[in-house]
Amino acid sequence: MLEITDLKSRIGDSEILRGLSLSVKAGEVHAIMGPNGSGKSTLAQVIAGHEDYEVTGGTVTYEGHDLLELEPEERAREGIFLGFQYPVEIPGVNNAYLLKAAVNAKRKHQGLGEVDAFEFLKLAREKMAVLGMDPKFLNRGVNEGFSGGEKKRNEILQMAMLEPSLAILDETDSGLDIDALKAVAAGVNALRSPERAIILVTHYQRLLDYVQPDYVHVLSQGRIVRSGDKSLALELEERGYEWVREAANA
Amino acid sequence: MGTRGRERMKQSSLSIDTLREVVRTLPKNGLTPSREAAVAHLDEHGLPTLRDEDWKYTDLSPVVDISNRWLTAGGQQQLPKPPSETIAAITSSIDAAWLVISNGTIDEQSVGALKQKGVEVSRFSDAPSEFVMSRPLADLNAALLQDGLRVRVTESIEKPIGILIVDRAGDSVAVAQSCVEIEVGSGVSADFIEYHASEGDADHYANTVLSIAVGDRADVRHVRIQNRSVRHVQTGRTSITAGREARLRMASYDLGGGLIRNDVDIDISEPGADITFDGLYLAGDGQHIDNHTRVDHRVGPATSSQEYRGILKGNCRCVWNGKAIVHKGADGTDASQANHNLLLSDKAEIDTKPELEIYADEVKCSHGTTVGQLDETALFYLRARGLDKRHATQILTHAFAADIVLRAPVAGVKDAITAIVEARLAELIEADAAADLLS
Ligand SMILES: Nc1ncnc2c1ncn2[C@@H]1O[C@H](COP(=O)(O)OP(=O)(O)O)[C@@H](O)[C@H]1O
Ligand SMILES: [Mg+2]
Repeated sequence: MLEITDLKSRIGDSEILRGLSLSVKAGEVHAIMGPNGSGKSTLAQVIAGHEDYEVTGGTVTYEGHDLLELEPEERAREGIFLGFQYPVEIPGVNNAYLLKAAVNAKRKHQGLGEVDAFEFLKLAREKMAVLGMDPKFLNRGVNEGFSGGEKKRNEILQMAMLEPSLAILDETDSGLDIDALKAVAAGVNALRSPERAIILVTHYQRLLDYVQPDYVHVLSQGRIVRSGDKSLALELEERGYEWVREAANA
Repeated sequence: MGTRGRERMKQSSLSIDTLREVVRTLPKNGLTPSREAAVAHLDEHGLPTLRDEDWKYTDLSPVVDISNRWLTAGGQQQLPKPPSETIAAITSSIDAAWLVISNGTIDEQSVGALKQKGVEVSRFSDAPSEFVMSRPLADLNAALLQDGLRVRVTESIEKPIGILIVDRAGDSVAVAQSCVEIEVGSGVSADFIEYHASEGDADHYANTVLSIAVGDRADVRHVRIQNRSVRHVQTGRTSITAGREARLRMASYDLGGGLIRNDVDIDISEPGADITFDGLYLAGDGQHIDNHTRVDHRVGPATSSQEYRGILKGNCRCVWNGKAIVHKGADGTDASQANHNLLLSDKAEIDTKPELEIYADEVKCSHGTTVGQLDETALFYLRARGLDKRHATQILTHAFAADIVLRAPVAGVKDAITAIVEARLAELIEADAAADLLS
């Protein structure tokens, strides 16, 4: 589904991704871990198409096509979803309006008609119930005045409504209390299916107790320095990131 | 004649002799003395020029040019009326009891039809007020005014009173003056809607003078909507006096117009006033919109709070100048001013300036202005959700305007304003997309 080969990217003058390769197949859940500043968010933003990150080398193919050719909105409509580490507050733009516009943009791309307003609301309310979100959040400005946990739930709500083929969740677990963490995990697990792939970017292995990954990768200084199964996460937790950094430099 | 006078001579100036002749042709009535006084005032002071501090960004040459051409052609007063459908389209979109002034002529029928308990409407020609002339362009208004309307509200009213100033420029150049004096009695609650519209291809200049005296403990809401043709010129002066513990909520929307200059003066001479006045201006290619506001806090405690927002796109210029003067002894004043601008292209120009003059001791004053582009982070967030760049731009621009639209203090006008704002923003952003394709 997603093939990243020797990806290099920089922002301004600093090179952040320095030859990163990763292969993700449908049905898989990958966890990407790594210390702060190692380039996890950069990778997520490059996949989503943020223009500030210049790709200076390597390739990214998504379902057999060159992903880097596409505009951010085209990537989204093709089924890529990025859950932002820092969801953006957009006062004055109604949350329900954005959700509906996003769903309709994708449906239009697929040659489907606009979603029925009644069905849409019903579905949104169902998904919100699973996430423990008050339906009132539909009528608030997008993330406007939301707490950290509410913002993250809102990202998961968007993901649940959009049913992406490839979801990348950038530290969606950080700063959540245990209830919010469980709600987010439930949202992610509900999405899991043989046709979809999920990349969980996380700093801690805590989320991985609730969402079992198939693979765990450790990112350090813009490269994947170690890959393994779930046990790698536990090992990291025990030995700390110093251990990988040493391994990387060795 | 001092240097100032000689400098003025260099710019094209209003032809006073022709003006005098035209004024002489106006029907003799109670307004005759004030017209003569106004002509004398104009003769002495002229119209403001770029050399005047308050007018340095707004060149009134089009006003002079249109006025001179119209005066030379005889200063015709009975100009073509806008079609009744134009008027009906506006009056039916907003629930109000409408008084209509078209091309400077008061629509008698609308005056006769306005029968609300507690509302008296009369004409200046019946009982003229004394000519007090210190403000630029108000003298031109008084010189050429056919007749003015005086609206007194002595009991609280439910239905808003609408004042529709609608002009049509037919085949030839035209000038129209309108003047309305509103008086709201003690403890009275009332809503007003002031609506400006124009159509037609010929050059047109409209000049409006409006005053609102808000009585003690009165509660007034006033919405001004300016949706004139982008070919036309308008200047307007709004003067407010606030009584003891008066409450005023005012919002002004400049959604059309070619050259627009608004002056708002608010005078607080009684304690306890609570005033907010907000504004929104949308400008595209060729437009020039200038908002000058001034609040005089003469006594305290009192609150005045102002926020204007502008969206500029293409080759246009806007001006915001908000002056608050806290006079000596006006302790307990709380004055805030804000002006935020969204520049959607690099050809757009904004001059924004808050001016605070404080001569009292215990005051709370704040001001803030911003000029910026759309938030790139928000734009990317929306695109990452599948919305194309244009849609994302449109949403964020709307959101910027929406705050002020939602503040319209008269609930029944929000839909009408939203519809105009939406259509206008779509035009502006459409033009943007077209420019993108060309570049
Ligand atoms: N917009 C930016 N401008 C400049 N430097 C940036 C920007 N975004 C990220 N960086 C730098 O890139 C490096 C990687 O950051 P990031 O991808 O956010 O790491 P992570 O998500 O793993 O914590 C850091 O050194 C960070 O300071
Ligand atoms: Mg990060």
